Amino acid sequence: MSPPPQLFDRPRIRLRRERAARAGGDFFLEAEAAARLLDRLDDVRRTFRRALVVGGGPDLARALRRRLGPAALLLHLDPAPARLAPDAARVAVADEAWLPVAAATFDLVLAGPGLALVDDVPGALAQMVRALVPDGLLLAAFWGGETLVELRTAFVEAELALRGGAALRVAPFADLLEAAALLQRLGLALAVADRDRIRVRYADPWRLLLDLRAAGLTGVLRARRPLRRDVLAAALARYREAFADADGRVVASFELLFLTGWKPHPGQPKPRPRGSGRVDLAALLGRPPGGGEDQISGAAGDAGAGRSKRARMSAQPSNPAPGQGERSSQ
Amino acid sequence: MGERTTAELDPRLLEILVCPLTKKPLRWDPERRELVSEAAGLAYPVRDGIPIMLVEEARRLDETPPAPGGARNPGTSA
Repeated sequence: MSPPPQLFDRPRIRLRRERAARAGGDFFLEAEAAARLLDRLDDVRRTFRRALVVGGGPDLARALRRRLGPAALLLHLDPAPARLAPDAARVAVADEAWLPVAAATFDLVLAGPGLALVDDVPGALAQMVRALVPDGLLLAAFWGGETLVELRTAFVEAELALRGGAALRVAPFADLLEAAALLQRLGLALAVADRDRIRVRYADPWRLLLDLRAAGLTGVLRARRPLRRDVLAAALARYREAFADADGRVVASFELLFLTGWKPHPGQPKPRPRGSGRVDLAALLGRPPGGGEDQISGAAGDAGAGRSKRARMSAQPSNPAPGQGERSSQ
Repeated sequence: MGERTTAELDPRLLEILVCPLTKKPLRWDPERRELVSEAAGLAYPVRDGIPIMLVEEARRLDETPPAPGGARNPGTSA
């Protein structure tokens, strides 16, 4: 397999994130992502004793410590030391793409959205799965494809108009179907991919850029082309024109993808082999045999019992209906 | 957080951390305050009690080691 394209400047991301964390510039949407990860963890009725937190910021590690109690083993890894929580967890500096953890060690791995800025996301996730014991839970967040779509559009249009070509200005992000496919590739059981869409309104697009810079999320791409002053001005003008609400405030879209899955274990609920059924479903449903339109496979069965209270889009990318499993907030 | 005075590293941490490159166990060197990966030929520093498990921050074992407490080695790549 060919190595993934080298899009991200990892040492630079680390430096920027460290500087931002020292300056106290935490991105409010990362706190939001952490809260939503914990929200999904609350759906799981299981006591975890050995947990790994990858990125997510210090507050995620602290919140998890409160949930797991003082006896649990908790390891927090982040590329930037200032984003670690040594008061709540054992800590080490590490790159999300090169996890320094022993195999089959944790019964829970939580990963924050910093994972979206890694070149080899499947590789990083595979290392997390490797770190899980059988029947351990992986819960990972990352920024989805609709993130900053307005900013991306404004830059492309401004550069096409002024330079006759467009450079990559906003990192590419995975979409929900890619995330679901990724989950299947990881071979996780009871896998679920879902998303939250978040609309943020700003007085001006310039404030959005300042927010991203304060969070250390700018200049993350390896192939940086100098941004001309007139291109930036044109992009901001285009943004104000195309993405303003009636009251003049502009919209910035963010999409958070969440991957949930369990490392396979023989004791997990799983579908029975085809043809092993003993009950005639047609008779059970009171329908004439052979005439029904609906095929009921019985595969899902009690798969979610005791694990998730909420039904979400399954990892089989069969049902990408918009509006499903989504929440919006201002 | 100041520099820890103990030469010890939390044994639980040593138990769960491995070399990020080779995924092989690490040996704690209390003299140099480094986590040594023999398999990769790298020594990862521990600063302010925090292991820095980054290949580009690690010292190559075949290089002349810096004087203890001395200047940091320039970054190396594997």
